[in-house]
Amino acid sequence: MSDVLHILDMLAWFPENISTYGAELDWMFAVIYWLSVAIFVLTFGIMLWFLVKYRYRPDRRGYNYHGNNIVEITWTILPTILFVGIGLWSDSMWETTKYAKKVPVADVEIVVMGKQFGWYFMYPGADGKFGRNAYNDRTAREMMSATNPFGRDSVDPAGKDDFVMENQFKFPVNANVVVRGSTLDVLHSFFLPHARVKQDVIPGTWMNIWFNCFKTGKFELACAELCGGGHYAMRAEYEVLSRTGYDAWLDKKNAEMIVLNGQATTAPAADAPTSDTTSAAATQTAAPSTSNAAKH
Amino acid sequence: MSTTSIEQHGHVEHAAHENGHDHAHHELPWFRKYVFSTDHKVIAKQFMILALTFLFVGGAFALFIRWQLAYPGEPIPIIGSILPSTWVTQPGSGVITPEFFVQLLSMHGTIMIFFVIIPLAAGMFGNFCIPLMIGTDDMALPRLNMWSFWLLPPAGLIMMSGFFTETGYAAAGWTSYPPLSANTSVPGMTITGQTLWLISLFLVGFSSIMGAVNYISTIINKRAKGMKMFDMPLTVWALFITAIMITLGTPVLASGLAMLFMDNFFHTSFFLPDNLVTQARHASQYGAGQPVLFQHVFWFYSHPAVYIMILPLMGIVSDVMATFARKPIYGYKAMIFAIAAIAGLGFMVWGHHMFMSGMNPLLGTTFMLSTIVIAVPSSIKVFNWLGTLWRGNIRFTSAMLNALAFVSMFIIGGLSGIFMASAPVDIFIHDTYFIVAHIHYVLFGGSLFGIFAGIYYWFPKMYGKMLNETWGRRHFFWTFLAFNFTFFPMHVLGVAGHMRRVYDPNIYDFLKHLQGINEFITISALVLGFSQLILVGNIIWSMKWGKKAPRNPWRANTLEWAAPAHPGHGNFDRDIIVYRGPYEFGVLGRELDYWPQWEPGKSISVHHHTIALEETPIKPEYGSH
Repeated sequence: MSDVLHILDMLAWFPENISTYGAELDWMFAVIYWLSVAIFVLTFGIMLWFLVKYRYRPDRRGYNYHGNNIVEITWTILPTILFVGIGLWSDSMWETTKYAKKVPVADVEIVVMGKQFGWYFMYPGADGKFGRNAYNDRTAREMMSATNPFGRDSVDPAGKDDFVMENQFKFPVNANVVVRGSTLDVLHSFFLPHARVKQDVIPGTWMNIWFNCFKTGKFELACAELCGGGHYAMRAEYEVLSRTGYDAWLDKKNAEMIVLNGQATTAPAADAPTSDTTSAAATQTAAPSTSNAAKH
Repeated sequence: MSTTSIEQHGHVEHAAHENGHDHAHHELPWFRKYVFSTDHKVIAKQFMILALTFLFVGGAFALFIRWQLAYPGEPIPIIGSILPSTWVTQPGSGVITPEFFVQLLSMHGTIMIFFVIIPLAAGMFGNFCIPLMIGTDDMALPRLNMWSFWLLPPAGLIMMSGFFTETGYAAAGWTSYPPLSANTSVPGMTITGQTLWLISLFLVGFSSIMGAVNYISTIINKRAKGMKMFDMPLTVWALFITAIMITLGTPVLASGLAMLFMDNFFHTSFFLPDNLVTQARHASQYGAGQPVLFQHVFWFYSHPAVYIMILPLMGIVSDVMATFARKPIYGYKAMIFAIAAIAGLGFMVWGHHMFMSGMNPLLGTTFMLSTIVIAVPSSIKVFNWLGTLWRGNIRFTSAMLNALAFVSMFIIGGLSGIFMASAPVDIFIHDTYFIVAHIHYVLFGGSLFGIFAGIYYWFPKMYGKMLNETWGRRHFFWTFLAFNFTFFPMHVLGVAGHMRRVYDPNIYDFLKHLQGINEFITISALVLGFSQLILVGNIIWSMKWGKKAPRNPWRANTLEWAAPAHPGHGNFDRDIIVYRGPYEFGVLGRELDYWPQWEPGKSISVHHHTIALEETPIKPEYGSH
């Protein structure tokens, strides 16, 4: 019996909320939920009451009455006020979460690319900016391929330190994370259940997605738009790290990139960039070369 | 006019049509009577048989899906062993593959919507009810009517033959969003399940349009003498407005399907952006198409299609409720205006399917407001149904039980719709099982219960036999219980974040604790599926051994009950003149508690009550009940 009641208490089933606007979204759900319960109990109750009270009796006769305009107008206007109210009340949260002009200044900016069946996440690296790629330069789309999902320009020095993660990403707690999302092949949907984030991503178009998580830990990311047989397995993980943990992780990644690039290029010793990386090198990031690309 | 004169008249007409044939006896050949018939009642029965067959096909597909969700990785009992172990099942195991799972759910949705609900709601009831309820002999365009049915069986065959293509059925969901549905990874000019899906739906669309054009012209031109538009029963009104929606919406779907067919078959790029990277190759030949455009075109039809699937049932349920509550419909005109408002607003709300699609969020705001307003006419209808029950004398026949189930399930389906109409709330529940629960509460809890109500109500007029009441109630009881046990817990799955269309939820940690609910749903779904056999058994048994139906078994008012118990071609055996509206139950100053539309008599209306002034006794030779 308690299990049945547990089913009816729908609100208890939400996954834990970890994002700043998530609580308000859950609250909106709860308000509509209790409103629906009230309307259902009212209408269904009245119906049951009528069904019992006016059940067939041989000596009874249906009441010939064709309706009343005042009653009709009343039960037109009341729901209109209620429903339009819900709509207007919903709109501010909609604007906050989705409107492009409401996307906050990014503390962390990540470019996401979905594919059948997985996710790529690109970080700007030590210099804090992306090199030329399909996100900031449409013409770079021609370079997109299964091995170069972001269409990165290998010539652009600003892109040398950009690094890509597959099926996992990390970001700091209490930071505005802005995700620019697209896909390589078909529609996917970027769904972070715990952060109350969902946005379809479309090939050829870039979506602005933002969230701010207040809790650290490891969580899951799923695809919510049918994308083929492997749709169910298009799972990724993300980790919300403390500020120091995130910095340490970034340092590690940046150092890895230096090693990686050091093997490939002849690292010209430019002045040290102003990142808080301890491994002072990060040389080839070429922050001075502002010439190209990033203008888009 | 007597029965014989009608038959002779009908015969002369047909002889004129087929002067090429020279039959010794004045009978239509059997295939013109039962197969390629132009009789609207035969066509209605054909729609019913076809759609009920597909109901079981679509239902079986749903049970495969449910089995996999409840017991992932376990072979399907009995049937699993006979499925081919290519892309259908994993070799030697009887476990369906993820690819086949996606095909099953795509076909489940497609079949249930385009081959079950629309043929039943618009095809069967439209054909059966319209000529009888407006008191005419047949449709305005009987040949076109025959075509509207006979496009469906080939369409169904084309759809189902996808199984025999190399990759199987269409696998992009019933919505078939490109680029997935464009099959860019196979070479052009390859026939895949998706190509067949597009061709098949194109035919279904033409079938709908032919039917709808016919309904509109019949209702406008062929009403019985004395029948004003506002004397028509709500069933006819609902079908009339539905037909208008079909004629406006379906061509748009056809254009979308045609464009997608080009993309799919000839690799054009209406919906495909440049530089797609598919698994097969770097598909750089595509141009600057926009995938979201298809969603706009598709939902411009397919949202009104939701109303095409439910409005006729709203009309039918109104008629059934008025008859068994022995009450006039509360607010007859308000009901008509509400249907018209739903139809009109229905064309302005398609964007609520696309809140998360990546369209401009400003459109989200506008579509949210228009969508939430459509709840108003829906609630007007619910309140009017409650008003109809008020002070009635309610008989709980099988038809009435199903109609009451329609109203209560429609309340739940309508309320759960408010959640997703609110765009920010939709962020979380979009593409989760909450949506699945909602659509099934509207289309099964709503439409299918309405269809059952209609079948129980009009079966006597269709076959001249009564359906068995006891088995009717058993069917209702099991269906209603199993339906709620199946679909209500899906709301919970959705709230917990369970995505739609996933093959195995257990790979996600946050979904693992839902396994018990998934199992519960599957067991309920099995009960739900098998309890439909009661209905089929009842129909087949009653056709042969059922009690002979009287002319007007429910003592109802509308014109179809003036026809003989089992009307032949031409329907009526007397001239029909309409004297009053369709819902005059419990009229003051009259002994009987109903007053059929065709019976002469004068009345006045005082403060929304009808009072009889004089009445002519029923002519006993017609045996009104």
